[in-house]
Amino acid sequence: MARKDSLQHTALPKEQKHLIPELRILLIDENQQRAESLASALNNSRYKISHLASPHMSLLKQVDEIQPDIIVIDIESPSRDILESLSAISHYNPKPVVMFSAEQDTDTINQSIESGVSAYVVGDLQADRVKPILDAAVARFREFQKLKEELSDTKQQLASRNLIDQAKRLLMKKRSLSEDDAFKAMRKTAMDTGQKLDDVAKTLISLLNTI
Amino acid sequence: MIEPEQTDLTLGFIPLTDSAPLIVAKEMGFFSQWGLNVKLQKQNSWATLRDKLHAGLLDATQMLAPMPLASSLGLGCAKVKVITPLVLSLNGNAITLSEKLHQEILQENNIAHVTLPLAAYLLQKVISVRNKQNRPKLKFATVFPYSCHYYQLRDWLASAKISEVDLDIVVVPPVSMVAFLESGEIDGCCVGGPWNAKAVRAGIGLTALTSFDIWQDSPEKVLGLLASFQKAKPNTVIALTAALKQACIWLENIPNRFEAARLLSSDQYLDASVDVIAPSLIGSCLTHITMPPRAIPSYNQFSKSSNGSINVPEYIRGEWLISQMINAGQLKNIDVPADLVRQVFRPDIYQQMRLKLEDQAVQFFRRSG
Repeated sequence: MARKDSLQHTALPKEQKHLIPELRILLIDENQQRAESLASALNNSRYKISHLASPHMSLLKQVDEIQPDIIVIDIESPSRDILESLSAISHYNPKPVVMFSAEQDTDTINQSIESGVSAYVVGDLQADRVKPILDAAVARFREFQKLKEELSDTKQQLASRNLIDQAKRLLMKKRSLSEDDAFKAMRKTAMDTGQKLDDVAKTLISLLNTI
Repeated sequence: MIEPEQTDLTLGFIPLTDSAPLIVAKEMGFFSQWGLNVKLQKQNSWATLRDKLHAGLLDATQMLAPMPLASSLGLGCAKVKVITPLVLSLNGNAITLSEKLHQEILQENNIAHVTLPLAAYLLQKVISVRNKQNRPKLKFATVFPYSCHYYQLRDWLASAKISEVDLDIVVVPPVSMVAFLESGEIDGCCVGGPWNAKAVRAGIGLTALTSFDIWQDSPEKVLGLLASFQKAKPNTVIALTAALKQACIWLENIPNRFEAARLLSSDQYLDASVDVIAPSLIGSCLTHITMPPRAIPSYNQFSKSSNGSINVPEYIRGEWLISQMINAGQLKNIDVPADLVRQVFRPDIYQQMRLKLEDQAVQFFRRSG
């Protein structure tokens, strides 16, 4: 544990520091004092805070203008539902969200919050705890995004394999071809027309099914 | 009588007019009649309310009708099995436009005043003029991605072939809705009471139509709880459901509704004036500061003796909500397990509760007879 901490606090060599881009934080907290102490705690780090105090101010506009890299929000803020929709609205890229709650008894929520939330902090945001939490949140979010992309790639691959199999079976049945010949015919069409194999399969399926 | 396994319960609610059944059950003593000691905990956001239910910090809670389905599917959250044994209310939402959009509609359509319920096609001119002049798209708000508000707004717009390509739909918490309308950050919203009435009384909005004008008598709020909680404490769930059903029956009576408005207005609940809570409860839809209210008898519906089934979480209600989620692109047909609705909507628990309720009534009449 101690070793991990000392690693995080080790100052980076100067030239390396410039390589790390500044990260913009949108902080949603009605407690002005807490917000200020957090901002000063992050002074001289790669995190830059844009504070948003009132829920009546435009959160979406701020997200648009600031394009934050991280959103930090009090779990009891009504604006939490606005964030919920950010992942559903396509033109907002998903962002890591750090939630915090001053109430001790809410730590079990941690287990139930998954999608999009990268870290969950119980107790007030204390200055010395904040930076490692943000670091971890960013890292975890990136991991999560990578997993999600991999999953959708796998799903895509599975779907196209299904399509190709289906087209192949149709060809075998309707043109009485062997499995090998059916596949070769499809591959030839794909190469001749410069289409993807699954696009050829899609066309074949709709064609053979209508004939 | 039934013996609940757990008597101390914490229930969540969002300060809205249709949280009436929970507040009435508490204030009129229905919970205690069933041996329950209930604490009502006000919540600020639907997402946090949901997470607290998932984590067991709330034993049960008022929920938007699509939320138990979304939880069970893991939409926007971790997958947790949530069930509903009771529909708490029907209708109750309305679409309110900012005064600025109201004026734009009059001007672009060259009309002196609007007819209510407002036809969505009147927005077409506004959208095309804004588009031609390179002005920002109209922005409408609803309260949560998985809400009837969102599907109702989409349906109303679709009636004039307006889609989310033509305007933006965002999520804004109910408590901030009126302020957002006033600041011009949104041009219209679909929200529950008392926020529509509040916007009209303040002279900053026109309530164009109610959700009853879009969907007739569809479930709006339901009682949600974890499937695991019901399994472990079936009697507690029956007692809780019975107390809330009694509150719904109590709320059918219009004179009681005004009393309910007074209960709701206290600062521990809605913290709003009876002026804005009472109208929808007694079937009046405030429309505009210069126009008379509309009579919408079913604006808030909690129980109906002529139709005993409105509190029953019928499968057909669940199927209908699933179809709305699919239409909105939130869900693909293949992602829906065949038995999902049967897992989530639990008319069987409702029927058990009805029997207990009838037993109790019979005993009461025997005693008093």
